Amino acid sequence: MRTSLKEQELLVKLREGVINYDDEEVEKAAKEWIELGLDAAKAIFEGLVPGMEEVGRLYEEEIYFIPEMLLCADALYRGLELLRPHVRKRDLGIRGRVLIGVVEGDIHDIGKNIVKMMFEVSCFEVYDLGRNVPLEDFIEAYRKYKPDLVCLSTMMTSTLLEMKKVIATLKEENPHIKILVGGAPLTDQIASRWGASGYAPNANRALKAAVDLLVALKRCSFVQNAG
Amino acid sequence: MAKQMLIDAIKGKRTPRAPWVPYAGVHCAFVIGEPADKFLRDPQLLAKGVVETAKLYKADGIPLVFDLSVEAESMGLEIKYWKDNVPSVQSHPLFDKTVEEAGLKVPGPNDGRWPVLFEAAKIAKPQLDELDCALMGLACGPLTLASHLAGVRIFTDVVKNKEKAHEVLSFCAKVVKKSVEMYCDMDCDIIAIVDPVASQIRKETFKEFVHPYCQDAINVIHERGKTSTFFICGDATKVLEAVCEIGTHGFAIDEQLNLTFVRDLALKYGKGFGGNLKLTLALSLGIISPREDAIVSLAAGSTIGYVFAPG
Repeated sequence: MRTSLKEQELLVKLREGVINYDDEEVEKAAKEWIELGLDAAKAIFEGLVPGMEEVGRLYEEEIYFIPEMLLCADALYRGLELLRPHVRKRDLGIRGRVLIGVVEGDIHDIGKNIVKMMFEVSCFEVYDLGRNVPLEDFIEAYRKYKPDLVCLSTMMTSTLLEMKKVIATLKEENPHIKILVGGAPLTDQIASRWGASGYAPNANRALKAAVDLLVALKRCSFVQNAG
Repeated sequence: MAKQMLIDAIKGKRTPRAPWVPYAGVHCAFVIGEPADKFLRDPQLLAKGVVETAKLYKADGIPLVFDLSVEAESMGLEIKYWKDNVPSVQSHPLFDKTVEEAGLKVPGPNDGRWPVLFEAAKIAKPQLDELDCALMGLACGPLTLASHLAGVRIFTDVVKNKEKAHEVLSFCAKVVKKSVEMYCDMDCDIIAIVDPVASQIRKETFKEFVHPYCQDAINVIHERGKTSTFFICGDATKVLEAVCEIGTHGFAIDEQLNLTFVRDLALKYGKGFGGNLKLTLALSLGIISPREDAIVSLAAGSTIGYVFAPG
């Protein structure tokens, strides 16, 4: 679908509003978007999220620091709060149940929340354990919900080990479990060394990796059932 | 073990070798086979753990405790203890209140865990002196303390609500000064202001919200004839020049920094510098060799003002 000039203008305002931590600009643009009856998911994933990705880059390059990052997150959440109720779900042709959380000791949940939202608007059933989640809560929730996929996030080197522990414990009890991991200090090598089924460096890739894992999982169970 | 060598290095002087400080923290509890939560609240165990660890690692200096929740706990904040880690602060009374509204007072030697620390220092100090190992007192720095008191909002207040941030930091400065006085009273040889989160702000913000609120504490350390240092964590590259200008004899950094860059800056300012063994990457994650990491640190650090220590 083509993006109209008005849409482009509003997407820029949403993106720039997040980058410049201007929550009033974000609120104004989001309200106008809704009044025009435009696709709310597009405003989120082509306006707010790219804005936050740019904020991540500015942080990486040490142009922004924690204060700016938090203020940008405030602007992002202001936009999400307004747009989210208007999001129409999209069908990717695959459904699944996802358990998601940030490991214990870590309270950084912006990335996790964006990934969660991408799953939700794509018709996944999401069980969000939040941030700073103890190992026991992951175990208990896995037993209770039996999700197709567990998504773990951490943003700090110091809490990487907690993620390793969660992966190991969940896999010990459920050898065929599918675990997708993400977060700034991770690499695909670390993820693979620790036995994760997949690694995603950003929210978009998380959804794609999840879909790939679930497609493979469903195909595998189809083959097993057919056999 | 060589206490004076460590003091000289922190003051930026040349030393015969790089003195060594293991920031053992609750690892001292592990060394004596006790859980961290018990160890931190028992003066006998605390002293035993620190002395045994100093012996085990042949340390030139060792902190009495490496626990930034001491100040918060002594002001009545809710603390969660762990068996294998330092306690974490659970409540943030200044999140939506002023210092007066929250009824906060600058803590003294009888508040919270301070009596435990006084008693532990009394036991450990003569034994460490016997080993020629310096006793280090670690005070929670102003911005980290502000984040304990006001929560994460202190980081947005330093940009969008400066008046409130200054009010919180002014109170924190008084607490840091008192902590430093108490560590002097315990006869610590070296006193560090430990402000790990101070790397997470711009240089300008550091100069406005960290610099001024450390000065009273630094003056106390120097007036009492002690050696001063400033500890910072994370990638502090952008604020490191401001750290050099803060007024302490030396500083210590974390494993994310390039030690060659740090050394050159320290030499320029005549400061001692400590670091930066990559504990997380080498010991916790096993991604790099601890031995090679140590060799690289010693080679980069050299013997002018360098303290070999974890990052």
